Amino acid sequence: MFNPENLIRKGLPKGYFKDILVRSLLGGITYLMVLIAVLLFGKIIIDGAPAIFTSEFPFVDTEFLTAKNETLHVFDDAKGTRHQLPASKYNEYIEAHAGQQIYNEQTFSYSGGGIAGPIIGTALLTCGSIILALFFGVCAAIYLAEYAKQSPFIHAVRLAILNLAGIPSIVFGLFGFSVFVLAAPVITANPVDRSLLVLPLFIEGWALSFQGWNSSLMAGCATLACMILPVVITASEESLRAVPQGFRDASLAMGGTRWQTIRKCVLPFSLPGILTSSLLAITRVAGETAPIMFTAAVAAKDDFPWEGLANPFDILSSQVQALPYHIYTLAARIPSSEYTQRAQFGSVLVFLILVAMLSFGSMVLRAKMRKKLKW
Amino acid sequence: MISPNPQSESSGHRFQRRGFSFERAIRFFFASNAGLTIFILLLIIVFLLREGLGFFPGYRRELEVYRIAGLEFVDISRKNLTAHEQVTSLLNRAYQAEINGKCLDELLRSQEASALYNTFNDQVGPTRDLILNNPAATTGGDDGMLAVLRANYEAQRAKALTNLPATPHLSEAERQELIDSLRNRPAEATDEPPLVAKLNAAFAAARQSHAEPLQKFRETIDNFETAGMDLGSIVMEMTESVTATKEAIQTADILEKDRKTLLAAAANAKDPIEREKLIADAKAALADKPDVEGPMATLMEKKPDCVKVHEQLATSVGEIFPSLPGSLTQAKASRYLNAAKAAWPVLISDIKATPAKINSWTHTDPVPLSAAFISFLTGKSWVTGGEWQDFYGIIPLAVGSLMIAIVALTIAIPVGIGAAIYVNQFAAPREQALVKPVIEFIQAIPSVVLGFIGIMVFGTILREISTYDSLRWVPGFPIDERLNIFTAGCLLALMSVPTIFSLAEDALNNVPSAYAEASEALGASRLQTAFRVMVPAAFSGILAAVLLGLGRVIGETMVVLLVAGNRIKIPDFSEGIGAFFQPSHTLTGIIAQELGEVPLGSVHYRALFVIGITLFVVVLGINATAHHFLTRTKK
Amino acid sequence: MKAIHTLIASAALVTMAGAQTLSIKGSDTLGAKLVPQLAEAFKAAGNKGVKFEIAAEGSTTAFPALANGTAQIGMSSRKVKDDERTFCRTKGVYLKEHPICHDMLCVIVNKNSPVSNLTKAQVAKIFTGQIKDWSEIGGAPGAISIYTRNTSSGTYKDWQKLAMGGRDYPSTSLKMAGNEQIAQEVAKNKNGIGYVGLAYSKTPGTKTVTIDGVEPVAANAKKFAYARLCYLYAPEKPTAEAQAFLDFIESPAGQAIVTKVGFIPN
Repeated sequence: MFNPENLIRKGLPKGYFKDILVRSLLGGITYLMVLIAVLLFGKIIIDGAPAIFTSEFPFVDTEFLTAKNETLHVFDDAKGTRHQLPASKYNEYIEAHAGQQIYNEQTFSYSGGGIAGPIIGTALLTCGSIILALFFGVCAAIYLAEYAKQSPFIHAVRLAILNLAGIPSIVFGLFGFSVFVLAAPVITANPVDRSLLVLPLFIEGWALSFQGWNSSLMAGCATLACMILPVVITASEESLRAVPQGFRDASLAMGGTRWQTIRKCVLPFSLPGILTSSLLAITRVAGETAPIMFTAAVAAKDDFPWEGLANPFDILSSQVQALPYHIYTLAARIPSSEYTQRAQFGSVLVFLILVAMLSFGSMVLRAKMRKKLKW
Repeated sequence: MISPNPQSESSGHRFQRRGFSFERAIRFFFASNAGLTIFILLLIIVFLLREGLGFFPGYRRELEVYRIAGLEFVDISRKNLTAHEQVTSLLNRAYQAEINGKCLDELLRSQEASALYNTFNDQVGPTRDLILNNPAATTGGDDGMLAVLRANYEAQRAKALTNLPATPHLSEAERQELIDSLRNRPAEATDEPPLVAKLNAAFAAARQSHAEPLQKFRETIDNFETAGMDLGSIVMEMTESVTATKEAIQTADILEKDRKTLLAAAANAKDPIEREKLIADAKAALADKPDVEGPMATLMEKKPDCVKVHEQLATSVGEIFPSLPGSLTQAKASRYLNAAKAAWPVLISDIKATPAKINSWTHTDPVPLSAAFISFLTGKSWVTGGEWQDFYGIIPLAVGSLMIAIVALTIAIPVGIGAAIYVNQFAAPREQALVKPVIEFIQAIPSVVLGFIGIMVFGTILREISTYDSLRWVPGFPIDERLNIFTAGCLLALMSVPTIFSLAEDALNNVPSAYAEASEALGASRLQTAFRVMVPAAFSGILAAVLLGLGRVIGETMVVLLVAGNRIKIPDFSEGIGAFFQPSHTLTGIIAQELGEVPLGSVHYRALFVIGITLFVVVLGINATAHHFLTRTKK
Repeated sequence: MKAIHTLIASAALVTMAGAQTLSIKGSDTLGAKLVPQLAEAFKAAGNKGVKFEIAAEGSTTAFPALANGTAQIGMSSRKVKDDERTFCRTKGVYLKEHPICHDMLCVIVNKNSPVSNLTKAQVAKIFTGQIKDWSEIGGAPGAISIYTRNTSSGTYKDWQKLAMGGRDYPSTSLKMAGNEQIAQEVAKNKNGIGYVGLAYSKTPGTKTVTIDGVEPVAANAKKFAYARLCYLYAPEKPTAEAQAFLDFIESPAGQAIVTKVGFIPN
């Protein structure tokens, strides 16, 4: 007798185990990545947390975040108590306990005090380069999205953007060093000999000399700005194109000029998108080390950038500490021991928290934008 | 791609069409900003070339000096000397390995006891020093303080005694004896505990007794070493004279350059007195032409001596060969011995071929510019800042970069693409929402942080793992250096996974959904759909993802600078896969390490820019290929 | 007395001129520990207004920086070369040499290594790559890992002259950015060997090796094979801050810090 149930295969379908196996293998690989990320972050949190968190209110070691970077002195007093003091406090201690001997003294460079200098330096570098990149990048994107037609020029621009995006960061370091540090123009009364070109100005004694800005905040910002320009242009162009064509058509139909249309009907609507995607660029700028190694960063600086300046603009021509470079110094130049761990892992944790906040912020904002902006 | 323009820019007043208008100015302003990207790219190319191209003439001159000063001539003989030294070292290692292998047990026992003692000392050292250095301890003044210090010391000692390394080759009783002797030791004692001293003595005695049967081998090695003495002394003698010649030539070059810079400075000087002074300095810097021919003639007179020494060496090396022992008992020792035996005929034929080379060498052969190119592109050594001669060969750096990239991609390709297929084809939306942000976060981790993790945590862990006995079968284990190609490759894999993942996922996403629907309608399982339809359809996109990942790995700097180990040498491929566990240097790392410290405008400085140009070309080539594949997918 | 005098003078100058930047570049041997601590002590001694920028990338970097005016003081663990001096002169900078301390290059090995004495010949053979295995000189078997400074370092060149008879380092050597890094790697590698300035020889996990039986301690400065002088270079007419700082280093207070950090005072 015909039994329709016979048509249904008994047991597991063919290839079921293979299916499960492949799936779990791929899933395993995926979750392995997640696990590695969690482990990495966990290790840094566990080792770095003692440096920046405390058990008392406000639960954050403000000194680590706000104090200057100093040498750490580790020593025993005559009673056998171990002290760990940054240089300034160490000198106070020695003065206060004049006449008493200390023992087993060890010193660790860059490990005492806090990391305010590097944090501020990174903030300055990031702000400077983002302002530059946003200005030039958005302008270029407006041209690409609003004005450009197919032409050899546009083709060349797109090719240039593509190529710039692929250049290794160390090559940007070389570029920044040879252009901004050694060859960028300055107005000066006495040009140096290696200047590429000296153009006399009409004011007595002054000349425009292509002798570079030396290693300075300015040179670092310019190098970083060149590096993220393609990212900013691409992101901005996308946001501009996301504004519906009808907005433009309506404005133009009302007799608005192209510039009025852009200013009133396109830019305001694309600005949130531009700013959100530039957060991604900020993350990248804040984390780069290779381009600033030769153009802006200095390992040890005992004052904040704005202190002791004759002229506020001098801040642009002074070198700064930067958090990624500081981490490089801590990793490569000083030994790892129980006394340097606070500085080493603490700095890395602070840096990672900053980067994570930026990257998380950009993710959330992007998700929000997608929900909100529906034309 | 370009939005249709209902009106061109000619809107506005009719009169404004011709000549300047506000709208045109704005348009021009935006266009010039877009042109900035082209300008920057050109600036990069021009300045890299400007700094880099001077390298080749400069390097040619260095190679020319290398020849006309006679350094090249000395290096012919020196090569044999080095080869002889290598064989000597192999024989010595065979000899020592034989002895140490025979008294391995004594060796391990004495090492373990010493390690235990050292660990203990390290931990109690600071508190002990306090007692010893404290004035109260010596003068006997303040007993109270001394008591505190002693209590501290005791506490530290008790802690240290619970925290000692394992000693698998010592018996339980011996370990206990050692620990007891440490526990009962007065703080002031400086001599080794009796057991440590005893085990050291036992090891020395064992060595002594095992060395006796090998007396003949020892003599053979000594004979072999003595045979090279003559060559050593003649090379040393020639080295001194050619170095002097080289210095004379370089000084003359420098003086000539000085004279030019001084004169140039004088031409620019505004102050007449200063100008006079500079011109006087320039006159003083006028150099005599360095005497090259004189020392060269003396050097050439040494040719017959050189030839004679080589002939003698060839005979004595040949004579020594039969007196080598046929075999040794220890595996490691016989490996070294066999290596030495294998090197023997090569050494002899090299030495025999040398006199012809010596006789045909002349210092007048011109050094063409192409020699500098060839030496740069095929040079196997990158030696800078040395006393003898600087060589700028890109091969060791390029090989380092390549090997790290191989390790990174071997790990990152399966992981990145596997994860992309899983997330795109199999994962539930909730899983996607978890995995994607995590991978995006990995992408945001700055490379210097990964380098930091490598140097502080990962490298050490990897070496610890490599010392496990159960992993001895892995080639290259146990690892000598914690910073090596493999460590760097693993961290770079972590960096390139997000790149490969997101691009591959995009490529899968871009496959028209009709493909999947059609496949499922025909009764294919999810697995079949994924691997037979989706992946092949997205193949060129996935290939582009891999290439972009490769570009990222080659161009990465901070991780390799911190973690790759910075040894400028082509890894020793005779160890097979083990070569991946050796340290290495990279194209990016060398720029980052050396640019900050070379004098501006020197040949070395320019060499770094040439490396930069090479990187630029290679990475752009990779990226261009990747984009070629990407555009093909889009079509 | 001189120190106090200097301090008063510099304090007066600072109050007049406000904060001034004193940029110091050059040797890692001096710049990683000694000079930063001298600077901190200098500021603690009443010169609050002076800003220090210290970059320690290697002695070779000192002279271009001095010539270009980007540094007021250069640190060098070797004597200036003739061409470097001329280069500075062409830029109108006449260099003046200030020897500030003696240093000894100590050979360090891992603390668990049984080797505690080496002859000069053995050191030369190890660092030129002729001896490749510890067992060749009576240590526990294992391939020797050589840690050296990088090429711009004055120590790198001094070592080549003092210990290696001018021969090249083998390509197997690992180039490290600074003394501390060498010490750290040697502490972590039981087959490691390296050389560091005296101030860095006390790193935990390492031990210094006696050379021909002579221990590298301050008392043996004359006898020890690898001793050398360290210098600061400044223009003949330095800025007031630079002069005050140089005077401070030569004062007893400064030399006390030199001793404390582990160098040997003049």
